[in-house]
Amino acid sequence: MAYIEARKMSFTYPKGKRPVINDISIKVFQKDITAITGHNGGGKTTLGKLLGGILKPLNGSVLICGRNSKDLSLGQIGKKIGYLFQNPSRQIFTSKVEEEILFISRLKKQPMTRAQREMEEILRFFDLYCKKDEYTFNLSYGEKQRLALGAILVNRPEFLILDEPTTGLDKLRKDTLSEYLIELNSKGVGMIIISHDMDFINTHASRRIEVEGGRIIYDER
Amino acid sequence: MMKDRALDPRTKLIIVMSISSLSVFIREPKYLIAILVIALFVSKMMKSEIFMILKKLRRILSLFMAMVLIQSLFIKGGNPIIALGEITLLTDVGILRALEFLIRISIILLSASILMTSSSRELLQGLIEWRIPYEIAFMVSVGIRFLPLLREEIEDTLTAVQLRGIDMEKLTLKEKIHLYSNIFTPVVTGAILKSQSLSIAMESRGFRAYNHRTSYLKLRMKARDYLISSFSILVSILIACLYILR
Amino acid sequence: MISAVDIENLYFKYRGMEEYILGGIDLKIEQGEVLAIVGLSGNGKSTLCYALNGIIPNTLKGELRGNIKIFDQHVKDMNRAELASKIGVVFQDPDTQLFSPTVEDEIAFGPENLCLPREEIGARIDHVLKLTGMEAYRYENPNNLSGGEKQLIALGAVLSLEPNILVFDEAMAQIDDVGKERIKGVVKKLKDRGKTIIMIDHDFNNLDIAHRVVLLKKGKLYDFKGEL
Repeated sequence: MAYIEARKMSFTYPKGKRPVINDISIKVFQKDITAITGHNGGGKTTLGKLLGGILKPLNGSVLICGRNSKDLSLGQIGKKIGYLFQNPSRQIFTSKVEEEILFISRLKKQPMTRAQREMEEILRFFDLYCKKDEYTFNLSYGEKQRLALGAILVNRPEFLILDEPTTGLDKLRKDTLSEYLIELNSKGVGMIIISHDMDFINTHASRRIEVEGGRIIYDER
Repeated sequence: MMKDRALDPRTKLIIVMSISSLSVFIREPKYLIAILVIALFVSKMMKSEIFMILKKLRRILSLFMAMVLIQSLFIKGGNPIIALGEITLLTDVGILRALEFLIRISIILLSASILMTSSSRELLQGLIEWRIPYEIAFMVSVGIRFLPLLREEIEDTLTAVQLRGIDMEKLTLKEKIHLYSNIFTPVVTGAILKSQSLSIAMESRGFRAYNHRTSYLKLRMKARDYLISSFSILVSILIACLYILR
Repeated sequence: MISAVDIENLYFKYRGMEEYILGGIDLKIEQGEVLAIVGLSGNGKSTLCYALNGIIPNTLKGELRGNIKIFDQHVKDMNRAELASKIGVVFQDPDTQLFSPTVEDEIAFGPENLCLPREEIGARIDHVLKLTGMEAYRYENPNNLSGGEKQLIALGAVLSLEPNILVFDEAMAQIDDVGKERIKGVVKKLKDRGKTIIMIDHDFNNLDIAHRVVLLKKGKLYDFKGEL
């Protein structure tokens, strides 16, 4: 069964005149790493946000695990799908690194011993444990991105959507990110990677979709 | 120039200042309605995009209506219209005041729509020629330009935090406040970083190299501009006098 | 012939930091040369760039030692108008470089700051729009353009100051392939016109324009041998 399915989906931004997404139907599977490519302004990010349930289609529908995205709150979606925005600074909320992983558990009044253990595990996975007491604004761009990714993984999502994850990363940090993504994928986490970085896509994607003018013009595995 | 038929931005500033200061100063519904009609007429003549603005404001409409309602509920003078036993809920004066408030806001919105028929660069130049220091005038216009970007950033941040598995509706007020204080951090640091790179870019291009700067954009007050400006000031004074002597 | 850029034994650390981000840099760039500087993030590429055009120490404070000369003139002795008309920088993020309501206003901004006469500014706008191939967008709002087009306008806004030295500080990092090709096309034109160009980049695909490539690692410069 498809993890995310779009049926005849269209989308226009409130102020916009032309549809950004025009009658797209697509099935995305958890076993794949699906790449969405295309030029700037072609609708890549919008497609990602629609498939991730952050935006709701004006016409047609998006089914996430068989449920219509219109019926799911952002909180419910976040438990299934992790979404990494283009700029990691926008999704880091706390001043201390370890707090970033812990603050949701604290807010929800969950048992802290388990949250602590989870925090350690995640920070170690992303090689950030030695920085757990540092201030988040002192982290480099690559570290911020890993922290943002780590914070998303607290919910143990089954699926990740990454919007331009390589922007602002140099070659070395791209390679590091690659390693983490490969390991996550081997644990069964499905992925959509939105990117115009062809090198990165060619090394990872098992399926490539190209969007232009709000339509899918290429789709091959 | 292609925009030769348009009014000078300074003329528009004068018109808007006349209309909005009248609307703040006057407290009589009859007069306010007259000013509203004038504002509507002027705004229509300038071919402003009133509907665009109304559309943008649709989202805060409920807040707006709530303000009107609260205002009418809290004014206790006049004759009661709706009362619960001993407690007066709504009076005729209350309704009147709420109506005034509504008209006043509409007038100010219409004035804003008149200003928006000029680009921010033109308005800026107008202010500079009125001897407003250009650094200040410039900073205001850059600030306005960056507001939509800031809003987008706040929306993304709000989405991101909810995606961590939080249902906003289920939170208590205290938790909500805690959450908002967290969201505040990335938004503010983002804004600070942005303004720093912006000022570096501006300085690299010679901003404030000298105490003054030339302008490629030339503003010319034509006879028509002087006529309309003096006319709007005169009419405003006239209306003000009529109102005081009524 | 005097060098376009002459850096001698340059050290710099930001205020409040322990370590020097630039630790002894020597670099000569000849007039008309295209130099590429590669290196990983955090190794001081942008800092070097700020030191070149006087942002360090004028705006960003810290401890600066050594000499930086542009056309045999010390950067620290040059005023902002001189700096802006000799060296122009295109930065990475298009959104923090563009702040005007139209493309025309954006390009006029620099020359206006230098108090050039109106006719001269007009001539420069025409020239720059033609060079960047953006004539059709003169009255557009830069906000509505694509990333590549925005960077072309940011470049145009710098070119209207007619600097002899141009610095691209990872200017193509956020741009898609089509946009990159357009920007590279303009850079090639500038190269042919004898401008001195410094390209800071970590994408090897953009280095084919350069005469010489150097590596910046931990605040020091090395010859580039294909490894970062």
